[in-house]
Amino acid sequence: MNQAQTMAEKILSNKIKKDVYAGDMIISPIDLAFAHDGTLPLAIEKMEEMESRKVFDKDRVLVICDHASPSPSEKVSNVHIMMRRFAKENGLRLYENGDGICHQIVLEKFSAPYKVIVGADSHTCTHGGLGAFATGMGSTDIAAAMIYGKTWFKVPEAYKIEANGTLKTNVFSKDLFLYIAGKIGADGATYMSLEFLGSTIRDMSIESRLTMTNMAIEVGAKCGIMEGDERTKEFLRRYGREKEFKELSPDKDAAYKEELYIDSEDIEPMVAYPHKVDNVAPVSDYAGLEIDQVCIGSCTNGRLEDLRIAAKILKGKKSKSRLVVYPASRDILIKAIKEGLIDILVDAGAAVCPPGCGFCIGRTIALGDGEVALSTQNRNFKGRMGNNNAEIYLCSPATAAVSAINGKITYPDI
Amino acid sequence: MSPEVLRVFPSDINTDEIISGKYKYDELDMGRLAVHTFESIDKSFYNDAKSKKDLIIVAAKNFGCGSSREQAPQVLKACGISCIIAESFARIFYRNCFNIGLPAIECKDIAEKVSKGDELEIDFEAGTIKNLTKGETYKFKPIPNYIREILDAGGLIPLLKKKGGF
Ligand code: SF4
Repeated sequence: MNQAQTMAEKILSNKIKKDVYAGDMIISPIDLAFAHDGTLPLAIEKMEEMESRKVFDKDRVLVICDHASPSPSEKVSNVHIMMRRFAKENGLRLYENGDGICHQIVLEKFSAPYKVIVGADSHTCTHGGLGAFATGMGSTDIAAAMIYGKTWFKVPEAYKIEANGTLKTNVFSKDLFLYIAGKIGADGATYMSLEFLGSTIRDMSIESRLTMTNMAIEVGAKCGIMEGDERTKEFLRRYGREKEFKELSPDKDAAYKEELYIDSEDIEPMVAYPHKVDNVAPVSDYAGLEIDQVCIGSCTNGRLEDLRIAAKILKGKKSKSRLVVYPASRDILIKAIKEGLIDILVDAGAAVCPPGCGFCIGRTIALGDGEVALSTQNRNFKGRMGNNNAEIYLCSPATAAVSAINGKITYPDI
Repeated sequence: MSPEVLRVFPSDINTDEIISGKYKYDELDMGRLAVHTFESIDKSFYNDAKSKKDLIIVAAKNFGCGSSREQAPQVLKACGISCIIAESFARIFYRNCFNIGLPAIECKDIAEKVSKGDELEIDFEAGTIKNLTKGETYKFKPIPNYIREILDAGGLIPLLKKKGGF
């Protein structure tokens, strides 16, 4: 009998039609390569160095204007023109102003169990929440993948994270991930596939799962993978892609390099304080800290269930802090409008902005000197929100909404 | 003259610190972008690098974590850095380095062993770093064969051009 496999080993073996295990160097076909306005220009330049601007398959390459979109400047507008020209030449689908964040678009249109996805963006690991092997790369790797439809991988060793039990009502998958980051550190899973198992994960919505795989890179992982189950199937059905579903789970005796077991009942609402994601503490440690701006959105927590939680808390209330909301995609924005969530948020004082990265990278909206932000995004690095002299705290949408009402970091007593 | 250690960095230096994301829309010319290298944490880095030749930077763990931005190793190369030695690298950064022909070496406890200004002699075949200033020798993990092939070709693009694909 063949050796037992982790989820990463299974997906890659399936893709190259040969059993492979951690440590093997492989050349694998890819199902999708994508890049955005922050990374595509350099990738095009690299393609030109390879003497080809032509992609291997127009249906397996996506380009997205999301990082600085709608364009805030002349230079960015010119970058977008260059992207449109490239897309047109190749007959590619190009996602425009207000379509949303690259990862959310790829989740809605493309990701599924057993797919191999590479993106010129570090949070490409998000797609593992739907059972894909997905990893971020630089522009040269993506240029090569776009031309040849292949790339090289070292099959990663795996880090098993098993969370069992029920989360408290005010604790969300974001809190659970911040807890994990605090436990294993910013380099705790370097080069590894972070594989999530256990009843807590199984009981989570796909949206909540995606928040966790999105942040796999924040502990150094190459990818984050979750099982493909009924909930995965239901998500794909919602987007008319049920046919792409396949069950995915690791073999029982799969070999893990590291293992972490978590009692989910014990987890408290968490924050990550400046300037590292693994600087984590219970929200109560920072309660009372004044905040200038609360940000709800990003590829981590800009989905419908995040907006629902925020709207539930903010209904009929006014935000004391400046409040900015970026839904992660056009689809999410439309659904949020139909459910009446946007009315509630706007009424509470939110500036609701067109879907895109927005505050997360500080290109279309930036912090001022000495300001403090509380955000649902995935990174709190110095300068991340466009100002080296600002401070960023990370939290769940619930903590963000409750804190907005007080203008101070507040324990979510909900 | 052997290459000299320009800086020894602590753990978890991220790509936003190496080159802030806010410049990446403005400049594809790495020589010009390089002026901003490390500007949020080490203002004199660029000028110090430019006043010398053949430089190495050393770091503790997880060097280059954060975004997939290939501009990070590119600006280091444009500053005249010929090799980066760290206890460990973030994965995307590590891959990006070799793709652009910049060697990245993993060596245990290196940040504690060497100091700014030390002259180092690196032997990729033997997997050794000779510290000429301190009179010490350190062993490092040999670079995996496939990555070595990329490095020897001068980067992923020259390699793929030579081989006509993967
Ligand atoms: S929302 Fe933030 S983390 Fe996500 S892709 Fe955009 S910039 Fe990157």
